[in-house]
Amino acid sequence: MTEKDHSSTDDATLVRAAQQGDMAAFEELVARHRDKIYARAFSMMRNEEEAVDLSQEAWVKGWQRLRQFQGDSSFGTWMTRIVINLCLDQLRKQKRQRTESIEAMSEESGGVERQMPIVTPNPTAGLERAELRRRIDRALTQLSYEHRTALVLHEFEEMEYKEIARTMGCSIGTVMSRLFYARRKLAALLADLKQQHLT
Amino acid sequence: MDWKTQLKLQAFLDGELPETQARKVSNSLAQDREAAALLAELRQTREALAGFDKGIQLPETREFFWSKIQREIQRAEARTPAPVGIPFFARLRRLLMPATAVALLAIVGMVATRQTGSTLRSGGAEAETSLEDTGAFTYRDYSAGTTLVWLSYPAEHELADEDEGGTLD
Repeated sequence: MTEKDHSSTDDATLVRAAQQGDMAAFEELVARHRDKIYARAFSMMRNEEEAVDLSQEAWVKGWQRLRQFQGDSSFGTWMTRIVINLCLDQLRKQKRQRTESIEAMSEESGGVERQMPIVTPNPTAGLERAELRRRIDRALTQLSYEHRTALVLHEFEEMEYKEIARTMGCSIGTVMSRLFYARRKLAALLADLKQQHLT
Repeated sequence: MDWKTQLKLQAFLDGELPETQARKVSNSLAQDREAAALLAELRQTREALAGFDKGIQLPETREFFWSKIQREIQRAEARTPAPVGIPFFARLRRLLMPATAVALLAIVGMVATRQTGSTLRSGGAEAETSLEDTGAFTYRDYSAGTTLVWLSYPAEHELADEDEGGTLD
């Protein structure tokens, strides 16, 4: 028996087939969305191995919960929510396991972001895309997971403040504060990286 | 610039302010150079991040990544026992046992009530049934010196064992 070719089938049809137990349909969904799901895990975890493991776990969970998917959002969005929650669980676990970082302490002790000088001119102006990517990559790694997550959910997932608050389990005020800090710190880091590059 | 104004500027950039407040912020930017500079910095950071994660690709081939997922799904399904259906006769017995015990209790009660006069004089009779084990029922007649124990078969725990193992083979 030849396996059915699903490459030209739309997501909604594939989801319905997969809900009936069609593994080949689910495989096609994995192939279509695996980069996006991995990208989200990587942007949150900043670690390739963990991101691969968590995106794999998200796909297994996706299969197990497929019957709960009602089509209120797109399948890709639904899967992204699963991987975001898995990453948040993992990051919280990791945070509990290590001692409080100096960065987290300074954030709680009174808003260092309020005193940061405004970065002018644009530190990313004139940079090639690959160089900019490299610098952002390094800068994101230096943010705490709470700040990075707020930024990732807002900038890449285009979530509103209240949606981020719901996902992260905090208040809208905290989201605004974390986002503000993340942006200001990122600007400072990019400026600093540019200066290092010039000297 | 105070903290509240800084956050309001950010909310303005993110389109999270109601229209009237957004208009106010927009008007104030012409006079407030510091606020305008901060807004420009926030905007630059946002623009730098635009499309940043677009080119990220999973560092594994389609086949290899899928094979891991498939294996994990199968392993998880093997761990989860399939829902076991309770055999019809076991279900029937489970329903009938308590009903039988109650009916027997009622019969014994009626008999005991009719014989009240004589049994009181000669020591009486009593019937017992345990709520925990509705399969066991005891009748004692002190005057006759007899004890009758009614045991339903199979017992509850045997029935449970039977149910669990019923569809495994």
